[in-house]
Amino acid sequence: MPGRIITITSGKGGVGKTTATANIGVALARRGQRVACVDADIGLRNLDVVMGLENRIVYDLVDVVEERARLRQALIKDKRLPELQLLPAAQTREKSAVNEKQMIKLCNDLKKEFDFVLIDSPAGIELGFKNSIAPADQVVIVVTPEVSAVRDADRVIGLVEASDKPAPKLIINRLRPAMVRRGEMMDTADVLEVLAIELLGIVPEDETIITSTNKGQPVALEDRTAAGAAFTRIARRLLGEDVPFPILGDSPGLLDRFANLFRR
Amino acid sequence: MSIVSFKGTREGLAITLGEGVWHDVLNELVAQLNRPGAQSFFQGARVFLETGERALDVTQIEELIALLAQQRMTLTAISGEAATQDAFQRVRATMPAPPETLPLEADASPPGALPSTFAQGETHALLVQRTVRSGQTCQYAGTIVVIGDVNPGAQVIAEGDVIVWGKLRGVVHAGAAGDENAMVGALILAPTQLRIGNRIARAPDAFGKRARHFPEVARVREGRIIVEPWIGS
Repeated sequence: MPGRIITITSGKGGVGKTTATANIGVALARRGQRVACVDADIGLRNLDVVMGLENRIVYDLVDVVEERARLRQALIKDKRLPELQLLPAAQTREKSAVNEKQMIKLCNDLKKEFDFVLIDSPAGIELGFKNSIAPADQVVIVVTPEVSAVRDADRVIGLVEASDKPAPKLIINRLRPAMVRRGEMMDTADVLEVLAIELLGIVPEDETIITSTNKGQPVALEDRTAAGAAFTRIARRLLGEDVPFPILGDSPGLLDRFANLFRR
Repeated sequence: MSIVSFKGTREGLAITLGEGVWHDVLNELVAQLNRPGAQSFFQGARVFLETGERALDVTQIEELIALLAQQRMTLTAISGEAATQDAFQRVRATMPAPPETLPLEADASPPGALPSTFAQGETHALLVQRTVRSGQTCQYAGTIVVIGDVNPGAQVIAEGDVIVWGKLRGVVHAGAAGDENAMVGALILAPTQLRIGNRIARAPDAFGKRARHFPEVARVREGRIIVEPWIGS
C-alpha cells in the first residue's frame, strides 16, 4: 500500500512547523511506521538540526531533483529509529531550484518506500509553500494561539481549500493553559471558532522543546514531557486511533515535575 | 491558488485567467462552470475575459468560446496582450453571429433575465456558501448573501446589501458604487471595518472586545453609520 504524503505548514513563521514535523515523524516511527521527513525549506534548512542529523548530510533534495544523487543516497537514516529517514533541504540554493512537478515526482517516489512522507513547508504563501502543498494527500496547519498566527493560518486554509485538497487539519501549538485560564490567551475554542477545521492535536508550551531542539533530540522520543506526549497523541490520531483530547494542566506543572522526578 | 476567477459586474461576467498551463486553465474553467448551482448563475452571461500577460492564440480562443457556449455564454471582449487581441479579432471575423450585435448594457440587472415570478424591486443576489477566509474577496454588482463566516482579513464588497448568516469579522462594503441606502446585516456583526457607500466605520480599538450575540444591522442614518438590533422590518 502506498504511503500518505502529509504537508505541515502554517503561513506564519516560528509557530513550530519544523518541530512538529520532526516530532510527528519520531512519534510515528516509534509506532513502527516507515517515515520520511522532507525538508522543503530550501535555503533555510532546519529540520536536520532539530532531528540532530546535520553532520550526516552528503546530498540533499536539490541534488536528487537535479539527478546528481539517487534518492537512496540522499536519505539519512535516523541514528535512533531505523524506520525514520530524512531528506534534507539544500542550504546553498533557493526555493526556485525546484518546481511543483519535481516535488510531486519526488514525493511519489518516496511514497512507494514509506508509510508516511512528512513535508516540512517553509513559512509564507509563495513558491516554497506551493511546492510543499502540491504533492500533499493531507495538509496539517500549525498555529499558535495568537491573533496574527490565526490570521495567517486562515489565509493558508483558504489557499489549500482552493486547490482541490481535502480540508486541512489543525495543530494548536504552544498553548499555555494558565494564561488561557486567566483570559490572557486565545483558547482552543477561540481558535477553532475562526478556523473551523478539524483539530488534530493541542501541544502545550513546554520548555523542554527548546533544549531538545538545540540538542537535536526530539521530545517525542519519550512520552515523559507534556509536548512529547502531545505529539504521540497526534501520531496515533494520524494512524486512525480515536484519542481523546486531555485537559491540559500547566506545563511543566508542579505535579508533573514530581512525577517526572520519580520516573527517572 | 485558483487559476480562474470570476467577478460579476453590471455589464456581465468578468473572468480572469491566472498563470498556469493552458490545459489546467480549461479544466478549472469547466469545473467552475459546472459547480452545483453555478449553471443557473452563469447561463446566458456576457463574458469579459482578462488574460493578463498570457498570450492566447486563435485555437485557444475558439476553445474558450466553445466552452462558454455550452452555458449559452458569449465572449464579448478580451483585455490583455496585443497578440491576444489580434487573435480575438480574427476569431470574431470568422464567427457567424458577431457578438457586438448583442444588446450591450441597457439593463443594470446581473447576468440572465429575471424570471417572471420576480416582483418589482426584487433582484438576483450572489450566494456564497462557505467561510470567506483571510485574503479572499467576494465582489458583486448586486447584493451578496454569505451563509458562513466572514473571517478577519477577508473582504466582502457589494454594490447592494450584504447579508451574513454567520459571523462577520472581516472588512465589508455595501453600496460600493455609492448607494447609501444599502445595509449590512449579520448574525454576529463584528467587522474590522464597515463601509456603506462613502461612509466608513471601524471596530472599536479596545482590546478584548466581545461581539454581541444577537443579529445586528448597519445602515446610514443622517450621514452616519449606525448599528442596531436586527428585528425584522
